[in-house]
Amino acid sequence: MIVKRSAILWTALGLAVVVAILFWKPTVLVYGMQRAGLYAAVAIPMALVLGIVHIVNLAHGEFMMIAAYLTYFAARLLGLDPWVSLVPVAIVMGGIGFIVYRLTIRRALKAPEINQLILTFGLGIALSQTVNLMFTSQSWKLSLPYVSASATIGETSFGVYDFVFVAAAIVLAAGLRLFLTRTRMGKAALAVGQNPRGAAIVGIDVDKTYAFVFALAIALVGAVGSIFLTKQAIFPGVGGPYTMKSFCLVAMAGVGNIPAILWGSIALGLAESAMNGVRELRNWSSIVFFVIIIATILVRSIRERKA
Amino acid sequence: MKNPTKWAVPLVFVAAAALLPLAGKALPAIAGDYPLSLARSVFTYMALAVSWDMLLRSGQVSFGIAGFYGIGVYAAALSVLRAGFSPLASILFAGIIAGFIAFLLGFVILRLRAIYFSITTLALGEIFRIILHNGGEFTGGAEGVIIPRIISNNSAVLYWLSLAGVLIAIGMSAWFERSKIRFALTAIRNNELAAKSSGIGIFKYMMIAFVATSFIQGIIGGIQLQGYGVASPSDSFSGDYTLLPLAMALLGGIHSTSGPIIGAILLGVASEFLKLKIPYGHLIVYGFIIVLVILLMPQGLYGLWRNKARARRVSRIDSGQASADAAARAGASKEQPRA
Repeated sequence: MIVKRSAILWTALGLAVVVAILFWKPTVLVYGMQRAGLYAAVAIPMALVLGIVHIVNLAHGEFMMIAAYLTYFAARLLGLDPWVSLVPVAIVMGGIGFIVYRLTIRRALKAPEINQLILTFGLGIALSQTVNLMFTSQSWKLSLPYVSASATIGETSFGVYDFVFVAAAIVLAAGLRLFLTRTRMGKAALAVGQNPRGAAIVGIDVDKTYAFVFALAIALVGAVGSIFLTKQAIFPGVGGPYTMKSFCLVAMAGVGNIPAILWGSIALGLAESAMNGVRELRNWSSIVFFVIIIATILVRSIRERKA
Repeated sequence: MKNPTKWAVPLVFVAAAALLPLAGKALPAIAGDYPLSLARSVFTYMALAVSWDMLLRSGQVSFGIAGFYGIGVYAAALSVLRAGFSPLASILFAGIIAGFIAFLLGFVILRLRAIYFSITTLALGEIFRIILHNGGEFTGGAEGVIIPRIISNNSAVLYWLSLAGVLIAIGMSAWFERSKIRFALTAIRNNELAAKSSGIGIFKYMMIAFVATSFIQGIIGGIQLQGYGVASPSDSFSGDYTLLPLAMALLGGIHSTSGPIIGAILLGVASEFLKLKIPYGHLIVYGFIIVLVILLMPQGLYGLWRNKARARRVSRIDSGQASADAAARAGASKEQPRA
């Protein structure tokens, strides 16, 4: 009962904040939600890897960056629209994810956690620096006509294209849920995530499941990378902050709790957007996220200690 | 000393480092300012690598080296500019400030473990950077500050200063290895619960390690400021200061003083040449080294060598034991006829 009451309290508080922002500056709400969509879309694949393979992938954002570069070259050399090359890029990224799993992650599954941490950290550096080496640190951007679509409600007008990120997040969350609960492979993955040994005993190929889940997660974050490119400029270091943000959201939500990732992204997106909305605070908006990350981790560790 | 080979690497390094400027006078090939400035850059990363390893001995991976290093650079620069400190005082001040901030934060973040600790240290580094970036007039904003004059333009003086910095790091690390702190940290790393039940004050020893490493990182920041004279949010908090020491310590071999020294010399010299050859993306080497070392030889070069040496010693003791047994038997058989 107590849990429920506090949930109601939090929901009410959240709604109050949203309504307050709506009256204060409606654009803050719109841009905050769009940001939230992007954050959630990037974070969900990371949650998948953490929940099932039990690896914190610190190269997560770098995989998104690689996908964005692939999409960029597909657009430049073949003239493909990012939305067209999204599926091929995702498939290629899935292949890259599979290779990376076979060559590195698989060999570190039994290693101490700090080795896994340093390994994926090193992977991230290797990926971003490979791109840096090949294409320099110059930033590139596609200029697509449709991204500047805008709408006007009352007296405020705002860009509507970024709502694709919200849509992407919802599709990812719902699709993943269907996959994990309705398909054979998904159910197997869920079982492996809960207890790899038990899953092996009942005849699930654990290694194959890990490989599939890792490749799937990289394919999904690759697809997000393609969409990311439609709106944002890319450079070798573009993925790093998203690794951090995704980790923040996944840590906040707890393992396997995808709805909580959505709520967390909304909180993070709105907070950043609100800071951006006030001129005096604009420079400080990037600190919000780091403060939230530390606060989340502290709250979690205290809660775990109590439990 | 029970195990003299353990200190061979640090001692040889210190002797070689002390002789380098003299060698420059004797051999024209390594004369001039360039070898000294290369050595300074190696020393800087070496000290950071040793300090990172000191905390790693408790089982916690810090990604916040750049954060405390940057604090050191800024603390030294601002103490010179705003309070008129002398260069040496500013270096000490940098160490104390970094150590003090670590002490305050330690009460909270030393309760975290594993990935939570690592991410928090990374986030703290970013928070330091943003605060100094937005500090307005006082911290110089995005451009940072330039100190009017450094300790000396003579590269030999800067060289000795850097060497002093790395000696502080090596000295503290040796103290960690020779005192009971080593046993406490190893116990915490191996099994925290068991360590706690044996009466080890986990928090106390983690705090000692955290404050000591941050102090070193602060000092190194202060020394580096004397070399370049500039403190800026993007350079002083550059991720390189986290990445390079980490890769160096891993390659050389973690959980030792010798490992980071070896790693820093190898990678430090190699990166200097790579930087000239490949202006963009020379850091790629570090990424691959981290991945390969973790996968193929997690104990690092020094660890490999140590294990081999240990195996040799064990086999020598075994064979020694066997010959002693044989001699005893021979003696006994000789005695038998007499009896």
